[in-house]
Amino acid sequence: MPDLIEDLLGLAPDSAIGALRRQRPEALRHAEGAYRELLLPADPGGLSLAERAALARHVAAREGDAALAAHFAGLAPAPDPSPRLDALLAYAEKVAMQPEATAKADIDGLAALGLTSRDIVAATQLIAFVPYQTRLLAGLRALMQEKAA
Amino acid sequence: MSRFTLKPVGWRPRLAPVKAETATPEQLAALDACPPAVRRSTYFLTLAHDPGSLGERGALFNIVMYAEGGLDRADRELSTAVVSMVNGCVYCTSVHAKRFVEMTGDEPAMQRILDEGWAAEPDPRRKAVADFTEALTRDPGAVTARHLAPLRAAGLDDFEILDLIHSVAMFANANRLMLTLGDPLLPRGVS
Repeated sequence: MPDLIEDLLGLAPDSAIGALRRQRPEALRHAEGAYRELLLPADPGGLSLAERAALARHVAAREGDAALAAHFAGLAPAPDPSPRLDALLAYAEKVAMQPEATAKADIDGLAALGLTSRDIVAATQLIAFVPYQTRLLAGLRALMQEKAA
Repeated sequence: MSRFTLKPVGWRPRLAPVKAETATPEQLAALDACPPAVRRSTYFLTLAHDPGSLGERGALFNIVMYAEGGLDRADRELSTAVVSMVNGCVYCTSVHAKRFVEMTGDEPAMQRILDEGWAAEPDPRRKAVADFTEALTRDPGAVTARHLAPLRAAGLDDFEILDLIHSVAMFANANRLMLTLGDPLLPRGVS
């Protein structure tokens, strides 16, 4: 079964850290599942696959994870510039970097652009999931570095 | 006096939640993958608008917080309370600080952390857990093997550190959902 985290880390399943991760097999499975559900859903609803990839790429880049950002950039062609895309990226910036500064007006602003409740929740889940990935990757890199020392 | 509290904090969504009685089968199935105590909560009913992500993310949350073995449950609660303080999520802090107190019986320790932070935490294991949690929360790209040394000195093994990383990562996610999709309802006397 493919695993994005292992691909990005160049981690073999039978390596020390690969085996360690398999002590929590459901954490592996559902982190991969959440990634696929958010970035590559069979039915993306009103939030296109290109928009999803662009939002995820923005958050990964802002959090300083170049490998993860490059992965997202490769998932779909960049969406055409538009006021809607600008608003989505501004929302991603705020949710990822200053979540405490968000307000109901931010949610209402997305609804005014025609996003449904499902689209808004999907966008928020997606933007909030990338910080999970960046911290998991960073923690595992530290463990790999420790083992290599 | 800090704004973080052990008192119950409420949460009001910024968009109308799904109604349990009119939820689609897909939404209900996703809710049923969430912890029983919360699957009809306003927060989970709000997330149910997108059932695919709720199901996977809810299952991930369950494993990270409740799986047997590995990092002590109280340490997971300590860590998630610290992430929530760093991110300014008063709601999540109150929930997980309370669970820490239920598990350890050590209310004074948690009250001190809520009031003053963990810079002067006297328990070396809790101090190591809180410091690593803060570092990984604030700047994941700056975390290196050096940050693991205090955890090793406090006796944490690989499996415990993996669980700690999962807990910190999970609340980078959970705090952002809570802070963005709703507003905390603070108890009287907390501002």
